[in-house]
Amino acid sequence: MQEQFSRAEAGSAGTGAIVHEDLTVKWFMLSSISYFFIVGIIALVIAAKFVWPDLMGTTSWLTYGRMRPLHVNGMLFGWLLAADMGLTFYIVPRLCGVKLWSEKLGVATGILWNIIILGAVVSLLAGRNKGWEYAELETPLSVLVVVAWLMFTANILMTVAKRKYQAMYVSIWYFMGCLLWTAFVYLTGNFATMFTTGVNQANLNWMYVHNAVGLIFTPVGLGIAYYFIPRASNTPLFSHKLSMVGFWSLAFVYVWTGAHHMLHGPISQWLQTIAIAFSVMLLIPVWAVVYNLLITMKGQWHQLRDRVELKFLMSGVIFYLLTCFQGPMHSLRTVNAIVSKTDWIPGHAHMAVLGAFSFFAVAGTYYAAPRIFGKNLFSTALANWSYWMIMIGGLGFFVTLWLGGFWQGWQWNDVSIPFIKTVIALKPIWTVRFVSGVMIFAGIVMFAYNIMATALGPQSESAA
Amino acid sequence: MLKKADTSAIWAIVASLVLFFIGGLMTTVVPPMVDKSWGQPFANADKSKGPTGHLRRLNGLELAGRAVYVREGCWYCHTQQIRTLLADTKRYGWKGVDAPISTPDEFVYDSPHMFGTKRTGPDLARIGGRYDTQWHRTHFRNPRDLVKGSIMPAFPWLFTNKVDLTGYFAEADVIAQKAAATKDPALVEQAALAADLKAKLGPQAANLTEFDAMVAYLQTLGRAKDWREANDYEK
Ligand code: HEC
Ligand code: HEM
Repeated sequence: MQEQFSRAEAGSAGTGAIVHEDLTVKWFMLSSISYFFIVGIIALVIAAKFVWPDLMGTTSWLTYGRMRPLHVNGMLFGWLLAADMGLTFYIVPRLCGVKLWSEKLGVATGILWNIIILGAVVSLLAGRNKGWEYAELETPLSVLVVVAWLMFTANILMTVAKRKYQAMYVSIWYFMGCLLWTAFVYLTGNFATMFTTGVNQANLNWMYVHNAVGLIFTPVGLGIAYYFIPRASNTPLFSHKLSMVGFWSLAFVYVWTGAHHMLHGPISQWLQTIAIAFSVMLLIPVWAVVYNLLITMKGQWHQLRDRVELKFLMSGVIFYLLTCFQGPMHSLRTVNAIVSKTDWIPGHAHMAVLGAFSFFAVAGTYYAAPRIFGKNLFSTALANWSYWMIMIGGLGFFVTLWLGGFWQGWQWNDVSIPFIKTVIALKPIWTVRFVSGVMIFAGIVMFAYNIMATALGPQSESAA
Repeated sequence: MLKKADTSAIWAIVASLVLFFIGGLMTTVVPPMVDKSWGQPFANADKSKGPTGHLRRLNGLELAGRAVYVREGCWYCHTQQIRTLLADTKRYGWKGVDAPISTPDEFVYDSPHMFGTKRTGPDLARIGGRYDTQWHRTHFRNPRDLVKGSIMPAFPWLFTNKVDLTGYFAEADVIAQKAAATKDPALVEQAALAADLKAKLGPQAANLTEFDAMVAYLQTLGRAKDWREANDYEK
């Protein structure tokens, strides 16, 4: 068994004759990094509006309330999910030792995905918003998302079904889990909500919002980390057993926690208590995964110095550990009473989607780009710069928002302080967030430029 | 047992879906069946059981205002929920009266729900009746004219975008006929709301802006429970 895994991991050694076309991977990779850049500009604009509220303030489609959903949807679906889908298209055929089932279908999926994202940009700026968080896209667009997802699912599952190695490496379970769970989670958040109102609808909405992170971005992100960490460091995975513990406990525990978004709110107490209990249990899958990945690197840490993929991957693992420690902690009622609804929450959310999962996606892209284009990476120095910019900017972003959010919640709990005083008190925090955002954006530009330059650069014989 | 999933894709798929559906069903389908209050509109006539009052549906103008609230993303900065915390009931109270805690039965007609997650601005669950139209006019033109240091955006286009209620009133006529025939309480309430609105607006109905609709909507918020004077505005 273990032998088969290491063979699957060793990839090209076992596959020999197979030449992967990777056309689909190229589509997803290049479009995702373009959206990373474009939506990065939007991110700066909304962060700037906290500091200069009159900025671009008199044009309806440039107002905060329209730019924010564009930022969220653009980053989540245009950048992160597209990048993750591209990397899934890269990894699965290699782990299965066969070609992708259908490149044609894959490219069609990539084109459809771009149509969806462009439609989202136009409709969100026009104010066409369904009014549910992360599910803002209008119904025709969400129907197209479902279609694209089914195309993606069919392609990956057929590739798995035709695999040459019978044993499936962990990453494949995570990808399959992501494919199936996403389908149901997305349907709940975008369609089941239509038939309900009030608290019932909110409950379905939070089930979706929470699991969009927990059962979409987490499994696909971990699948990527599980593949690239052993690959980039040339070290076998520490423990197969532990990866099973992590996967199956995630499958069971995650979905119960949605109601922790409504703690102290108008939703049944017993449901809040269940959500809290399961939120704490989430420590099990998280620690299993993180331990496994960290021990895999034992004795190999020196490799971080000259491999930028590993820098991103291992920092991502640490951010994942921290996010998922923070999550259970602020699910506890006493902590929640302070930090809920404050700026702490965007600090937490960005550590997950930017710190952990975007880091995995960036790492995978740095690793895969030279190989699919058959070129050398344009510049290792630039890649290192992009890491430090995103890392330092990211830390500035997260840490100031936690401190600021905690302080904000503390002030709210003293009812003698008028609300507007708590707004004014946070202005320095939002200024630091904006400056950190500029650093992150600079890192994004370096990353996107590096990949584009690699794709367009001269052919090389050494890479492949 | 789960070892089988190492080599069998079908097994892995089935097992991961079964585990997922246990939690999925328990937390989405079961709760509304257990807790009937999620679907029952608030109504209470007994003072000893807390605030009296009842939840009514919104009329066409208020619904138009709500649609603008959704469109402009007010809900990314404002929540609508008084939580079970003193910090909420005291802060959002009125002249020494604590704001009643929000309960599920106050939201049964809400779709999309507007509970929100982030308080960049104050909670609006009990904003109805707090400020008069003039206050809101100045505030939406430029919040910083009223509240120094505010970071809420200005919404000047609300004053020029028109709201057309002819479609709503035409539909209301059909509803009124049906209501007379069936005596369905939901239809009767809707027909009465439309008739009231028509009488109140008079000729003004042809000349409404999104600002009028927005204020009409905001004034309904949190008023199902009778907890404070109707029009005791803060200046
Ligand atoms: C960028 C975040 C933001 C957005 C978007 C926003 N607001 Fe605000 N809002 C605030 C802040 C901050 C305050 C507190 C300072 C003030 O009163 O201006 C506030 C205050 C208010 C108040 C007064 C509340 C009170 O208790 O004094 C109302 C009413 C209000 N907003 C309604 C709206 C509506 C309606 C919209 C959408 C059209 C909206 N807001 C959009 C941030 C925002
Ligand atoms: C340049 C870097 C970035 C900046 C400056 C930035 C800024 C912001 C701001 C100002 C908000 C609104 C927070 C609020 O409501 O108070 C926000 C929300 C959000 N952003 Fe970003 N962002 C950045 C990068 C990203 C990335 C890379 C992702 C995802 C991959 C992302 C995903 C999100 C999500 C999901 C939310 C909603 C958070 C929530 O629900 O609480 N952001 N961002």
